[in-house]
Amino acid sequence: MNKRAVGYELVVFVTQWGLMLLGFGILTKFVAPLSLLNRSLSLGLYFDAAIKGLVALVLSVAWLFIWDRQVRLYFHRRAK
Amino acid sequence: MPSLGANTIAILIALGSFPVSLALTRFFMYWNSAHGITGIDVHKLNRPKVPEMVGVAVPITLILFAAIYAMIGGVSSLPLLAYSLVVGAAALVGGIDDRLKLRGIFKPLSTLLCGSPLLILGAVFPGQIYTSTLHVPLFGGYHLPVIYPLTVLVAVSVTSNTVNMLDPLNGSMAGGISIVAGGLLIGSLLIGAGSTPIFLYASLMFSLLGFLYYNRFPARAFAGNVGQLSIGASIGALAILGRTEIASIVAIFPNIQNSFFFLSRIRRFTEHRELTSKPTKLLPDGRIADSEDPRAPLTLVRTLIIGRPASENEIVSTIWTLFLTSASLAMITLLLTGVVL
Repeated sequence: MNKRAVGYELVVFVTQWGLMLLGFGILTKFVAPLSLLNRSLSLGLYFDAAIKGLVALVLSVAWLFIWDRQVRLYFHRRAK
Repeated sequence: MPSLGANTIAILIALGSFPVSLALTRFFMYWNSAHGITGIDVHKLNRPKVPEMVGVAVPITLILFAAIYAMIGGVSSLPLLAYSLVVGAAALVGGIDDRLKLRGIFKPLSTLLCGSPLLILGAVFPGQIYTSTLHVPLFGGYHLPVIYPLTVLVAVSVTSNTVNMLDPLNGSMAGGISIVAGGLLIGSLLIGAGSTPIFLYASLMFSLLGFLYYNRFPARAFAGNVGQLSIGASIGALAILGRTEIASIVAIFPNIQNSFFFLSRIRRFTEHRELTSKPTKLLPDGRIADSEDPRAPLTLVRTLIIGRPASENEIVSTIWTLFLTSASLAMITLLLTGVVL
């Protein structure tokens, strides 16, 4: 077994796990309770959900970007 | 405290899926081989022909045991019906792709539809398939009446395709996903989940172990898309039915990393067979090495062998260790789901 690779991946996984919990925490505590649009308006509920979904998408992209940087830092430079 | 009796019965019934999957795998090995359904094991020097699409044994076992549990388990058959439809639909998509070799975009699009039984039955029978509240570890939860039903479809498509993408070596998918199912099974038992998700996780784990017996190094059976997509869809459906959404994402971290780096490099949905730049190469001594091709995707396997060629067995052991890590984190996630800061 490649212990060094497992060690690096462990760091990546634990970091991503922590960031994921933090991201869901931000969504739960700050984003979800917001009333961005008047829900009594026609389609207000859907636009409100769409904006919050967009925030979640931005957080997901940031999460994947950090994952990408970590893997490149630990593994890809070894190939050079 | 969960009913120990109900969970024990669920696990005992699920245990039966191991010998059934083992027997079905053996049957399909011979049947597929006799009918010319074979693939070449490209990571061996002698490039042996191995029966393909043998993974069909797993969805058949899963659906068979879901039906048995619905009849004798004394539980609601609705979630089991939804689960069976999802697994069956994904197996059908995989089977079509195996036989017709369709374009890469076919699988993600068609597996989007595979989650529709959950969505439709959930809409017709509210609260029996899913509830739109997402439970978040440490932070409580929030209601998602619009987004949650849409994510049901995406969840099944993502899990089925990401599992499909991480089966390059003998036993890597079957062993990895059985560890994932085992981890989520233990986590579900610890938090006192219902007996249906416990049965389904146990049945998935034992079915995969039956298939793994013949799929482990040196493989005598390949899963094919029919096995990979249905097993992935099973993880997605179980995330919804068992309320283990976030823990399931954590459990499949190795799959997510592999798929993300594949897609970020290739920038389109494509089949491995269509890649002109291969991420790995086979050395004359039988070990697998990084291809050093800058255009090739940085797959999980390639990541593990950069600057250090390794035998197939060694790489698969490393992948299983990564799954053990992610499954352990998934268990902690499940335990933290009931905790609010």
